[in-house]
Amino acid sequence: MRYLPLVWAAIVRKPTRAVLTLLSVTVAFTLFGLMIGLNAAFDTIAERARADRVYTWPRYGGAAPIAVAHQIEAMPGIKAATGLNFLPGYVQDPKNQAFVLMVDQNAAKVFGDWVPPDQWNVVWRERTGIVMSRMQAQRWHKKVGDTFTMICKTIKRADDGTTWTFRVVTIVDDIPQIFNGFMFGNFDYIDKAKPLADQGKVSEVDFLADDPAKSSDLAAQIDHTFANSATPMQTITEKLARSGNDFGGLDIKKITFGIALAGMFMVLFLTGNGIAESVRERFAEFATLKTIGFSDRAVTIMVVLESALPCVIGAVLGVGLAAVLARQIPKLMPPTFSMPMPTMSPAVMLWAAAAALAVAALSAALPVLRLRQMDIASALSGRS
Amino acid sequence: MLRQIFVVSALNFRSLMGRFWQSMVIVVGLAATIGVMLSMLSLSTGMREAYSKAGDPGRAIVVSKGADQEGQSAITRADAPVIADAPGIAKDKDGRPLADRNLNMGVPVLRKDGSKGFTTMRGLADKGQGVRPELHIVAGRMFQSGKRELVVGVGAQAMFQHMQIGDKVILPNGQWPIVGVFATGDLLEGQLIGDTETMLAALHKTTYNSVLVRLTSPNSLDTFKKALTTNPALSVTVERHSDWYKRVGDQSTFVLALLGYVVGAVMAVGALFGCLNTMYAAVSARGREIATLRALGYGAFPVAVSVVLEAVLLAVTGALLGALIAWALNDGKQSMFGAMVFHLSVSRAQFELAVTWAVVVALLGGILPSIRAARRPVVEALRAT
Repeated sequence: MRYLPLVWAAIVRKPTRAVLTLLSVTVAFTLFGLMIGLNAAFDTIAERARADRVYTWPRYGGAAPIAVAHQIEAMPGIKAATGLNFLPGYVQDPKNQAFVLMVDQNAAKVFGDWVPPDQWNVVWRERTGIVMSRMQAQRWHKKVGDTFTMICKTIKRADDGTTWTFRVVTIVDDIPQIFNGFMFGNFDYIDKAKPLADQGKVSEVDFLADDPAKSSDLAAQIDHTFANSATPMQTITEKLARSGNDFGGLDIKKITFGIALAGMFMVLFLTGNGIAESVRERFAEFATLKTIGFSDRAVTIMVVLESALPCVIGAVLGVGLAAVLARQIPKLMPPTFSMPMPTMSPAVMLWAAAAALAVAALSAALPVLRLRQMDIASALSGRS
Repeated sequence: MLRQIFVVSALNFRSLMGRFWQSMVIVVGLAATIGVMLSMLSLSTGMREAYSKAGDPGRAIVVSKGADQEGQSAITRADAPVIADAPGIAKDKDGRPLADRNLNMGVPVLRKDGSKGFTTMRGLADKGQGVRPELHIVAGRMFQSGKRELVVGVGAQAMFQHMQIGDKVILPNGQWPIVGVFATGDLLEGQLIGDTETMLAALHKTTYNSVLVRLTSPNSLDTFKKALTTNPALSVTVERHSDWYKRVGDQSTFVLALLGYVVGAVMAVGALFGCLNTMYAAVSARGREIATLRALGYGAFPVAVSVVLEAVLLAVTGALLGALIAWALNDGKQSMFGAMVFHLSVSRAQFELAVTWAVVVALLGGILPSIRAARRPVVEALRAT
């Protein structure tokens, strides 16, 4: 630490260079934080995904008879199954797309971790009741007791209407897996509103397996059981659906690391050049330091510190800025495009610290080597 | 003046090698920025190209009123013949209208890496190949109408498992064999195709998603459109097929493209600071040289221009390098996003974009240092060591 004043003096000698280097490093680490943070967010989702929850839906869209839900629930190894109906639509303008999951009372068992049991009871009490997660409540500017009206033209109703009116009965916390928030309504509301011929059908069946280790076998078993029926099913465990950073078939890990690495490569040239230049300019000064008894080690520490300071400060500022920007992302993304919010987890910060130190070390390597091999006499005389 | 600019710049570029590593900051900065941005954009550009190739200005698509995707549209069995009878549709050699009833739905597939994904299964009816002459069989044979058979696109075959001739696809009420492989050169190649009517029956559906027609000429769209939209019995939207796919393509790639531009912009800001840094250093390194030139009577403006020119040269070199890397890594590579299979693309327009960005960064990063270079008092600069 006693070298700090010397290092500081070296840095402020060229204030323009110092500030520009710091700004560039900060920008690169902002991108680094957002990219590695996005990757961390996908990892968290994959980790929190439950191995015992399984989703199954008609392979070719449309609806399956609710009997499928009952049939699945009756299979050995299954704790509870709920039949869902999708209600896709919009609020006021087709641009404001909205999506409500209409669920039966078994949802309290299957989705007990999304909405607490006592809150589910509030939903069951009112046929047109709806539970919103905070994000959705915020998006539609709703509080408990408000009326929520959406328009759906794709679901045929017995009365030919297209307007669906709900009352917001409770608002609950969001969960990380659902990036834009969620809404649940009553299955009965949608089911009984349909023409008789369309009643008793579900868009999806979600269930919990007794044993998480057997859920993939159960999924395969269900696909097999219904393969030759009128509604073949497509079944996937929540774990599998959420794992592998799946993003439309793209390898998110590869992309985010690639971008972060490109940013680091860019600043490596900048900081490396900066430090090399700074050492070159002060070559005679370093020779003096060595003459008055500074060891190679001391000189090395000074150069590494000089190179590390902008990297570390830039990394801290950059990741900090990334954390601020990450909060804005859900607001800026169109609601139809879901992407999780990058999280600045401890792992991300470790990655950033490692990257900052690596850039600093690589930048300092050549100048340090030159200083160690310097011929003091010729350096002092200004010949090298 | 021009001669002065030329002389100063020539002198400048000759000394550039002496500042090689310093200059590399700009080159690498722009190369990284453009390399990343174009690699990201290769996804949205490739997707848009696949869409636009599928759209033919000589075709028109008919969907239910207000639908902007085929999935949202339903055309009834009663409406389809009314649409086919409208004026403006080309006729085949038997004098029947080239209008084809299409079906369109998602099917789950297993990707080559083992993950689960989706692609589109499309139903074509009897006029399918007449309306889409670009569709041709490259292996096996075409599906027969009335039979439970499918043909698979070359793209789908490359990206998904179980897509070989003889493999079976689970469909309602049975498993359908794949009997052939087709190519179209557009987004259909990522899909499966079967017979509309047979699929409709198997799916217990009663409506088509769209009707695709070949127009007598690209100019006959208005006639066709007018006939349909003024027919009180129909409630449909008619759009030129190329316009339709351009819109769908723009809509579905908008966010992806935006992400590419945002990441590119962030990196460009980083590169800009690097560029400023380098140019300030260059100006101070060339202090003596510039002062000598000024003392010889060269104006401040040519000196400033030479600084900006240097920045532009370095930045454009970096951007082209980055674009070349992005092109070599991505262009033409088979890829997918969601249910889409397509080839990544780094096109000529992307190279132009790269150069534009480089020039902007260089101007922003070169002008301030150039002003410093031009303003520096000659005597002071000459005295400085």
